[in-house]
Amino acid sequence: MNHEPNLANEPNVFEKVVDFVDERVGLKTLQAKMLNEPVPGGSRWAYAFGSVLLFIFILQVVTGILLMFYYVPSTDHAYASTQYIIHEVDYGWFLLSYHFWGSSAMVVMVFAHMSQVFLWGAYKKPRELIWLVGLALFGLVMAFGFTGYLLPWDQRAYWATVVGVEIMDKTPIVGDFMARFLKGGPTPGQMTLSRFFVIHVMVLPAGLMALAGLHIFLFRKAGPAGPFRGTPEEIKAKTDYFFPRQIWKDIVAMASVFLIICSLAFIEPVVLLHEATPDPGDYHPEPEWYFLFLFQLLRLKIFGGEFGQFLGAVAIPGAFMAFLAALPFIDRSPERDIFKRPLALIGWIAIMLGILIFTVSAIINREFLD
Amino acid sequence: MSNVKLGLLVLWPTFWTGFPIKMVVALLLLAAHVHPWEGVGLEALLLLSIPIDIWALGLCARTVFLERLRVDPPQGMGLRLWAYWAGFSVVYLPLLYFAVGGVKALAKSATEATIHFVEESLMVIPIAEKITLELVMWGMPTTIVLIVLVYGWLFGLGALAQRFVRVSTPVDGTFQDIVYKWDLLRIPKDQPLLLTAFTGAGVVLVFVFWGLIPVSTPHPHEDYEFVNVKKVEPKIIPKDVIKSAEQVLARAEATIKELEKENPKGELPKNGKAQAAKEGSKPPTK
Repeated sequence: MNHEPNLANEPNVFEKVVDFVDERVGLKTLQAKMLNEPVPGGSRWAYAFGSVLLFIFILQVVTGILLMFYYVPSTDHAYASTQYIIHEVDYGWFLLSYHFWGSSAMVVMVFAHMSQVFLWGAYKKPRELIWLVGLALFGLVMAFGFTGYLLPWDQRAYWATVVGVEIMDKTPIVGDFMARFLKGGPTPGQMTLSRFFVIHVMVLPAGLMALAGLHIFLFRKAGPAGPFRGTPEEIKAKTDYFFPRQIWKDIVAMASVFLIICSLAFIEPVVLLHEATPDPGDYHPEPEWYFLFLFQLLRLKIFGGEFGQFLGAVAIPGAFMAFLAALPFIDRSPERDIFKRPLALIGWIAIMLGILIFTVSAIINREFLD
Repeated sequence: MSNVKLGLLVLWPTFWTGFPIKMVVALLLLAAHVHPWEGVGLEALLLLSIPIDIWALGLCARTVFLERLRVDPPQGMGLRLWAYWAGFSVVYLPLLYFAVGGVKALAKSATEATIHFVEESLMVIPIAEKITLELVMWGMPTTIVLIVLVYGWLFGLGALAQRFVRVSTPVDGTFQDIVYKWDLLRIPKDQPLLLTAFTGAGVVLVFVFWGLIPVSTPHPHEDYEFVNVKKVEPKIIPKDVIKSAEQVLARAEATIKELEKENPKGELPKNGKAQAAKEGSKPPTK
């Protein structure tokens, strides 16, 4: 009779470590909860936007930390240290360019994610809170772009901030305070740079992490909305767990976005203009590309003058954001099929066309300025 | 199913299935300073795209056939359908390009003439309004023509795909069975082998990428070229340092002598101690 222990059933070192952690924190329960989430109607590429956003944010944090090893947030050294990153630090140009294009990718992904949720009717009951937190996250992503733009301290950065703060100044009641608080003086200077830097690297990441956590928690609580079309039999037949198919789709989508950002970093790497001065010289101030449509809108005669500027820069965008926040409470119909919600479809197309037309107009406008 | 719908249903996932693989190739070319949109880079990318597209088209078309049309297409459909689509697109897409280009040029000149007429005879349009107006005026007909021609292209692709529908065999079974069938197309027989191969390829590609990319910026801006202005450190000549120190000491000695002459007893003025303490607590000023 063989009394030797059966070594094949003995746990190896890795399994022992996993068991040790599992016994104390419930790792396997957590893993099962995370991966065994049912996805109604099965995995879809359209569901990958949220995961991609999280992925881009993590890489922005990583590249941002690496850049902070060299960047000096003072008006004396911000420009020189950015130049140093581009020209002297090994692969610094690539890290900075990746970080720059990553911020644009985040904005694009937020637009895509919000559009998908809107078109799928996934903001409706019981997912109103997810939508509201998502809107707040959208605001944070925009704030990331705005505050990060100043940090290289070149003419583009300085004047984009001047324009942005001037727009903010037009907000009634709090506008003046916010503009003074951000600038920290009559013109952008050291105080502005310090404040933007702190907001960019400390306040906004903390806020984004907290809100993203809440967003995911609420999403898991309510569960995925699933497709807006298909018979219950079809949806049930295709329903799958989050792992492995949706995870695979998410990974492929993340890899694609990563490759696109890397390619953009190669094709159009960050190049600084002259160091920031209070004299614009030949430079025509302009905000980041995703604010261009608003900037061009403000050039229209209808938005001229103090009241017009307030209307175009604050009142209309503010009213639009308020409308988006109120949307789940206004649109109470349970119908989710976008082709049976013509008003929503036409409204979305009109807004997208408007943004496209005014962005292209702003690009054409550069020729006239030059 | 209509030709346009079938064409779109097959084309859309095919594009996205092949896209990440092509992007890897494009990025490696970029890292190696070869532009993937011109010359050798473009040729290499197009050549590599052929097997990728054949595979992606076969997989996606088979899925659509099974799930939407409930038919099992013949074996080797990917290659044959790709050949049909490629042949059709080689003729159609250049025509689309030139037709859209022609309409755009025509619409632009018509817009310019209209705006010119309005400005001459009616009113001057402010620049921002004029830009948007012109864009909408020439952009609308161009976009409509583009959409119509893309519709025609999808119709053609769908019509070519319909040839395979006719020779496919119907599939029996519940929806669940069909989903299971097309799902199996995506699951490899040996999953650990595939995952190991993927990971291995990923690691190799990462090394290749970091080996190829330039350490310093490959695009120094012609207008804003970095000039590394190094501060010139003043040369220290010991003789000069001693000489200047001697001069400072001599000046200090002369000042002390003058002060002694003015106040030989060394008395402090009234409230002198308090004043002296106050002066001492002040920070030094330049």
